[in-house]
Amino acid sequence: MIDIPALLAWIEALPISLAMKESAWLFPAFESVHVIAISLVVGSIAIVDLRLLGLTSNKKPVSELAGEILPWTWGLFCIALLSGAMMFCANAAGYFDNTPFRLKMLFLVLAGLNMAMFHLFAYRSVHLWDHGTPTAAGAKVAGGLSLLLWIGVVLFGRWIGFTIQG
Amino acid sequence: MLASIAAWLASTPASMVIQSQLWIIPTVQTVHILGIAVVLSSVGMIDLRLFGLAGASSSVSQTAQRYLPWIWAALVVLALSGALMIVGEPRRSLLNPAFQWKMVLLAAAIATTAAFQITVRRNVAFWDLAPSHRPWAKALALATLFIWLAIPVLGRWIAYIVVDEAA
Repeated sequence: MIDIPALLAWIEALPISLAMKESAWLFPAFESVHVIAISLVVGSIAIVDLRLLGLTSNKKPVSELAGEILPWTWGLFCIALLSGAMMFCANAAGYFDNTPFRLKMLFLVLAGLNMAMFHLFAYRSVHLWDHGTPTAAGAKVAGGLSLLLWIGVVLFGRWIGFTIQG
Repeated sequence: MLASIAAWLASTPASMVIQSQLWIIPTVQTVHILGIAVVLSSVGMIDLRLFGLAGASSSVSQTAQRYLPWIWAALVVLALSGALMIVGEPRRSLLNPAFQWKMVLLAAAIATTAAFQITVRRNVAFWDLAPSHRPWAKALALATLFIWLAIPVLGRWIAYIVVDEAA
């Protein structure tokens, strides 16, 4: 078994973690980057989700819209992940024990699973519903779930700041 | 004068409710961030099209017409959720230099976005025929993007600049 308290203590003792903890401006700087990156991740995914639901961008084929947006989404997700990791380092044990943080991670995993399921199943028949509306039922379910899960990620993310200890 | 407005706001029943119900501020902030998500992503989509980085199957004016209404609608949501935060914590926001600069940049962002929308409406060809020959238009788009990005940074900084209680 991994000794989690020891691992968290090791993370908090890293030079980068100490710098994050001691500096007055490093944490808000990374937090600002995190908010911008996550805003763009959620907003860009929402554009695709709304197309999957058949609500907006309906003149564009689903595959074309997804193809032009999602590579940017992945790049921004990496920025959100790295800036989030920096914030985690500043107070590793505090985040680990924080319920909203755990719920945020759970919703992140669920959003990832939803996306994986969509690509494995509904998206295989995209050639049948790529143009116009209505989109496939599976696509609508994936789009709706994605919107809800990402709103949850933002909600629990914001809640961390009001509940974290230490 | 701002200090007396802040003091008055803090004494209103609406402010008391927001201050006493601990779930209101984080919920309103979540709505605010979702509004920011819509604005930044819409601005991003228009800029990616202007710079030829994505969405080439639509014209600049089609892209602008697709995303500009979402920017304005989200700004209404942002103004309302922002107003609730000001009512709840007036001193923390109104007297805060980060908030004041945020409002200045917001005015600039609204002005340049409106100017862009007006030129798109007046002359579709200006943007669609030879956008690569319009370097200043691209410079304006880039400046607008940076102003939009600076606004949430200043917004986050409100939480880190402590307003002197005696001010």
